[in-house]
Amino acid sequence: MTTLVIGDAASGKSAYAERILCKQSGDLPRFYIATMQPFGEEAERRIARHRDMRREKNFNTIECYVNLSGADVTQNSALLLEDIGNLCANELFSPSGSGENAAEAILHGIERLQARCQTLVIVSNEVFCGGTDYTGETMRYLSILSYVNRKIATLADNVCEVCCGIASFYKGREPR
Amino acid sequence: MIFVFGPLWSGKRTVAKALLGCDDAEFARRAAWDVQELVHDEVDLEEFANRLSAHDVVIATEIGGGIVPIDAAERAMRERAGRLNCLLAARADKVVRVFCGIGQVIKGGENA
Repeated sequence: MTTLVIGDAASGKSAYAERILCKQSGDLPRFYIATMQPFGEEAERRIARHRDMRREKNFNTIECYVNLSGADVTQNSALLLEDIGNLCANELFSPSGSGENAAEAILHGIERLQARCQTLVIVSNEVFCGGTDYTGETMRYLSILSYVNRKIATLADNVCEVCCGIASFYKGREPR
Repeated sequence: MIFVFGPLWSGKRTVAKALLGCDDAEFARRAAWDVQELVHDEVDLEEFANRLSAHDVVIATEIGGGIVPIDAAERAMRERAGRLNCLLAARADKVVRVFCGIGQVIKGGENA
């Protein structure tokens, strides 16, 4: 089962995603695919905060900044992928990314993960309500991320938006 | 406490007044609004959320929805405002999200 969790910055989406993954996964091995590159103090602080949240939940962390298809996860696992906003930026803008083929690279990776794991929770970002006055590269990023979000929504069984820690479902329902 | 939140100028205060069924003067006594503006001066967000929860209604404007700002201070503000919203929602008996002047109960309602 695949669940897409979308939310604003600091909306409580990570905590919610972890909660539903843990609830569904029982004894399955848990993997966390981390996509944020540890550039600078702020990123390190964010990563440390998320690590603290995952402590004692027995997650195996896999760092994957580009090329999701190459992520080494075991069969029949429970997997939390966080987050598509970072992955999309890495694929588009980092030298090792797939550039023009960013969307395809991400979507192909997700289909592969869906085939391998039993439970998949994907965290993505709502960044589309801050106006339309952006320059070329940012606009391109927004358009590709929104395309990827829509495609993942069609691949997912459940789609929700998290606001202040509360999920509202647009497709399916909260997994039990 | 009822926590009401939504985008800028979405009708949050009008919805909140209707929920309380009160006039402006009474509203001013029972409600706190624009709390996202106050996170700047508050050191301990948990304690701030506790203090705000003494009101009948707390209202916040959603500010975490656009592209992540380049300015670090702005980023930190958004982050803190979002965390405060999570803390307030956890303390609230009822959470109402306002969209185009319409309040949607996402916690503490009949179907939420």
